[in-house]
Amino acid sequence: MPEPTSSSSSSPAASPESRPVTDRPHTGHGFGRLLVAVYGLLALAATGRSILQIVEYFDRAPVPFLLSALAALIYLVATVGLARGDRASVRLATIALTVELVGVLTVGIWSVVDPVAFPEKTVWSHFGQGYGYVPLVLPLVGLWWIRRTARATAASDADVARSAH
Amino acid sequence: MLQPLTVVLLVGSGLLGVLAAHHLLRGRLVDDPLIIVGAVIEVALLVQLVVGLAKASAIGDGAERATFIAYLFTVLLVIPASVVIAVKEKTQWAMAVVLGGALVVAILVARLQQVWSLNA
Repeated sequence: MPEPTSSSSSSPAASPESRPVTDRPHTGHGFGRLLVAVYGLLALAATGRSILQIVEYFDRAPVPFLLSALAALIYLVATVGLARGDRASVRLATIALTVELVGVLTVGIWSVVDPVAFPEKTVWSHFGQGYGYVPLVLPLVGLWWIRRTARATAASDADVARSAH
Repeated sequence: MLQPLTVVLLVGSGLLGVLAAHHLLRGRLVDDPLIIVGAVIEVALLVQLVVGLAKASAIGDGAERATFIAYLFTVLLVIPASVVIAVKEKTQWAMAVVLGGALVVAILVARLQQVWSLNA
């Protein structure tokens, strides 16, 4: 993974004791920025698509269209949760990502078994094929990242506790 | 749609992607050349919005026309959002976000062209 670049000129706090709070592990920093950007984009794409589908031709396939709307909501929650990064937000994001994973697997299998129910593409049908399988991979990456951040936080908290003694 | 404009946009987002990849490998952050290339693309995207809105009525199908117009507006958000995120990040992930943004602009421009050529 790329290391932090030397931005020494902009960070006056050089001693380890006075590290700024932003240096703490955060789900919305580092690699997390890319994750938030991708989730934000999917939230936008799913919201746009579901509004269009529901307004323009809801009768054609109500189930996939409602699923598109649900996916949009989940992507929105995940984006905000990861970007905020506080304890409650991360917990909410974890729930959203878990539902997303279950959703993309369930809808993926469903759309393969019963393609007639999915005449229109949705974000999750065929395991997110229409979106380059990003909807399938993303929750796995996101859950891995949340776990990793939580562990790094625990480790840095232990460091702080140790240095206080 | 205007084919020269689409070509300019694809070349521009390709250039932005190459620049971001270069910065990523060199460990650099957002700088003036990156902002300038991004701004030029954004201006071209605004031209595309005006041209696209003026010509949108050529698309007969209502849903396809709505998709086309939605893409015209959505693509405007990508570069400003990427740059704002990248400015806040002080690691090489900043450049990964810009690289991703450039890729998304190219995909959306290509999709716009596709929707146009299939329906107009």
